[in-house]
Amino acid sequence: MSSYTSHPPHLPPPTGPSPSEPHPGNIVLEVSNLVKRYRRSAHPANDDISLTARAGRVLGVLGHNGAGKTTVVNQIVGLLRPTSGSIRVGGIDAVAHPARAREIVAVQAQANVPITGLSPRKAVELVGRIRGGEPSTVTRRTGELLDALDLGPWADTPAEKISGGIARLTAFCMTVVQPSSLVILDEPTNDVDPARRRLLWAAIRDTAARGAAVLLVTHNVREAERTVDDLVVLDRGRVLATGTPAQLTAHTRGELLLELDGEHLPELPHGLRAATETAAQATVPVPAARGAEVVAWAQAAVEQGQIERFALTPASLEDTYLELVGAGTEVAA
Amino acid sequence: MSSTDALATSVGRRTHPSGVSGLRGTLLLVQWQVRRQAQFLPLMAVVQTALAVSTVLGYGILIGDVAPEAALFLATGAPTITLIVIGLVMTPQAIMQARTEGSADWLRTLPLPRWSFLAADLSVWTLLALPGLVLGAIAGAIRYDISYQLSAWVLPVAMLVALTAAAIGYAFAMLLPPLITQLVTQLLVFLLLLFSPVSFPAANLPEWLRRAHEVLPIEPMANLMRAGLAGDTFTASGSDWAIVALWCAAAVGVAVLALRRRG
Repeated sequence: MSSYTSHPPHLPPPTGPSPSEPHPGNIVLEVSNLVKRYRRSAHPANDDISLTARAGRVLGVLGHNGAGKTTVVNQIVGLLRPTSGSIRVGGIDAVAHPARAREIVAVQAQANVPITGLSPRKAVELVGRIRGGEPSTVTRRTGELLDALDLGPWADTPAEKISGGIARLTAFCMTVVQPSSLVILDEPTNDVDPARRRLLWAAIRDTAARGAAVLLVTHNVREAERTVDDLVVLDRGRVLATGTPAQLTAHTRGELLLELDGEHLPELPHGLRAATETAAQATVPVPAARGAEVVAWAQAAVEQGQIERFALTPASLEDTYLELVGAGTEVAA
Repeated sequence: MSSTDALATSVGRRTHPSGVSGLRGTLLLVQWQVRRQAQFLPLMAVVQTALAVSTVLGYGILIGDVAPEAALFLATGAPTITLIVIGLVMTPQAIMQARTEGSADWLRTLPLPRWSFLAADLSVWTLLALPGLVLGAIAGAIRYDISYQLSAWVLPVAMLVALTAAAIGYAFAMLLPPLITQLVTQLLVFLLLLFSPVSFPAANLPEWLRRAHEVLPIEPMANLMRAGLAGDTFTASGSDWAIVALWCAAAVGVAVLALRRRG
């Protein structure tokens, strides 16, 4: 039988699955037909949501504000009770036994956790020990995490003097300092500077490599694309799509996107039409086979001063995401 | 054995027996809360001193010439006022703030028994209230030149009073919406200072209010503190003990239920 804890947390991340870990791919979290209705609300916050998170993989849950992402998280850790549906964490019925589920789940909440009165290092160490870690192991692992996220200069600074981004990264460290079967990260990149965001994405991948199932809630679709293994797209409480990033973007594989900037855009090459057009910008879907022709056309247009700049890119997950949920609904949500 | 069962079993093996980890976790949580509140300690001491001094001096002004018995009554009432204000007003406001900013919910995702949150918060707020006891008593002694006859159990009684007040405040903050909590706690200060027989004898109150105070915990709390501070002059009855203990148990029970509740 496999043992989850036999990989010492202070060792460098494993390069591949080892026999002592749960087989990557084992189901850790299984949410089935989850419905959550709040009193005094006409629409359910979660409407028949099903999703599965597996050991060693990162499941991205994407959606606009108000899509129901955090409501799902709060039901998994027993802060909310589902109206109907089931949640199993590591084989435990999390609705019937929330306390047992919490033993194997770690959460980075969307709201910042104030740690005034503590330093980042002290906060991470205390939470590691509250999660059941041995003092020496927790101390070592805390140091590693703070280094990995380049938090060294801030590690022992009183929390009153640290920025929102550093506080956010500290909260991430508090979540992963002690191994858990399921790690839930709710918008972990908010407020984090670009350089440390890269380190954070690497640390998230490392968390999965150590054997945890990672549930990553985010609306930072562009950056999440390179980190997630599986995706669930939520909109207004419902699952719109599930699959790997490759599966979700498969239908756009033969298509490129031409972005044009300029005050007065020239007439497009034959057969092409702008998908979106604003005052000084247009996005034009281009069949991949016509890529070279379109680049030549656009370069000529730049030289003649008809457009200011152009870019030709493959359709990204973000494009697919916006296509699914609609670019304009965030304001309304 | 299915893959998920295997995982559950292996995870279950690393979990401590819940009793031991619950106590250890609670002590660590106390450490977390104490460190988080430590920066407010000097401010709390200032507020408590101000409360105690203004109770003693302010009522003195209201009454005019303060006879020695009235002075002792005032001075031994001041510590009760500070203990109750910390518990009924400051505790719910701190809990309310933690709920509003989201840190209360995050703490509740930690693998700890629900009672440990209550235990940690009540320990912190009970301890924070104790300087007020000392400062209130000292303020009275200096102003009216009185001496106390401290009984051995004055400290446990002060802790019981502080705990009861904090538990009631905690239950308020857990059950009521934040805005209502704020209004209720502010109303309570008013009722406590002007309409409770802490700084003046119950005989001064109208009949119906006197009856209300027979079941409310404030007068018994004051009686217990008075007997602990000046045992030669004041005594506490068995029913004082019983009423305070009942309120304490009820408030703790309600708070634990509120902590276990899932929305």
